Amino acid sequence: MVSRRPRDQAGEEPRVAIVTGGGRGLGRAICAELAGAGYYVVINYKENEPAARETLAALQGSGAKGETLRCNVTDRAGVKEALERLTGRFKRIEVLVNNAGVTADGLMALMPAEDWNLVVNTTLAGFFNFTQPLLTHMVANKRGAIVNLASVSGLVGNRGQTNYSAAKAGLIGATRSLAAEVSRLGVRVNAVAPGLIATEMIGNLPREAIKRLIPMGRIGRPEEVAKVVRFLCSEDASYITGQVISVNGGLL
Amino acid sequence: MDPTARRQEAFELIRSYLIDQFEIEPAKISFEANLFTDLELDSIDALDMVAVLESRLKMKIKNDELKKMRLVGDVVDYILRHTS
Repeated sequence: MVSRRPRDQAGEEPRVAIVTGGGRGLGRAICAELAGAGYYVVINYKENEPAARETLAALQGSGAKGETLRCNVTDRAGVKEALERLTGRFKRIEVLVNNAGVTADGLMALMPAEDWNLVVNTTLAGFFNFTQPLLTHMVANKRGAIVNLASVSGLVGNRGQTNYSAAKAGLIGATRSLAAEVSRLGVRVNAVAPGLIATEMIGNLPREAIKRLIPMGRIGRPEEVAKVVRFLCSEDASYITGQVISVNGGLL
Repeated sequence: MDPTARRQEAFELIRSYLIDQFEIEPAKISFEANLFTDLELDSIDALDMVAVLESRLKMKIKNDELKKMRLVGDVVDYILRHTS
């Protein structure tokens, strides 16, 4: 390995953050935090356009700038084309938050193959499809922060979630591997592992029972995860890479 | 620009990048120098070089072509084939 010098950064270009699955839930909170940090936020969504527009309107209402990007993270060609357009328009795409994910819970013995594929592909193929095309852009700028939304489920197995646990554990492994590849090229890669957070995704769980399991005695709020994402994207986290930060009220 | 001059220009671009980025001794850099065994780049350094070349020359370097690049001259030849 040879020594290297840091490169100078561009001055006036907007700093762009892309958030997959940014239209709702955690994604929406993350978009709001990154907008508050001064990023031009690209809010990716799959099909819920009203929600994405609402997310955009909220951050525009607080004086920030951004746009929506409709694209299924599992559509490799579609994502590649969309990112080529974005890297053509913007010189400083500095943040990618891989937040898009779904659950399709059930005991593995009864799990349809489609449910396995859906959850694993959305998370892992989605991560690859959005991250890979952006790597040379970020490396050329010698500047990038990639944050992957994992889960407490990826750290400990959770019954009824073999597919989700596999996907999130895989995302954690990929986070560490990618960090080993690109961190010395100026791109930091980390993961956030939320516990139980008040979003649609846990809408149907028995909340009182859950609260007994969590030392803080409550479910987390989306902004409590989003603030950690914001931190990991910031210069305050300049020596943090390849890490998984849990945000779970003490659940683990 | 004639082909020889273009080849030299591409070589100078790569040479100055290697000196500036990796502080490689100028005398070591020739068309025949092996990026990995002579100039001590590793695969991650090569990724950096690809990113810079793609950014500066507004070109895309295909993965299967990248895997064939061993010598400084290979990179020069690729640039010449894919730029005008």
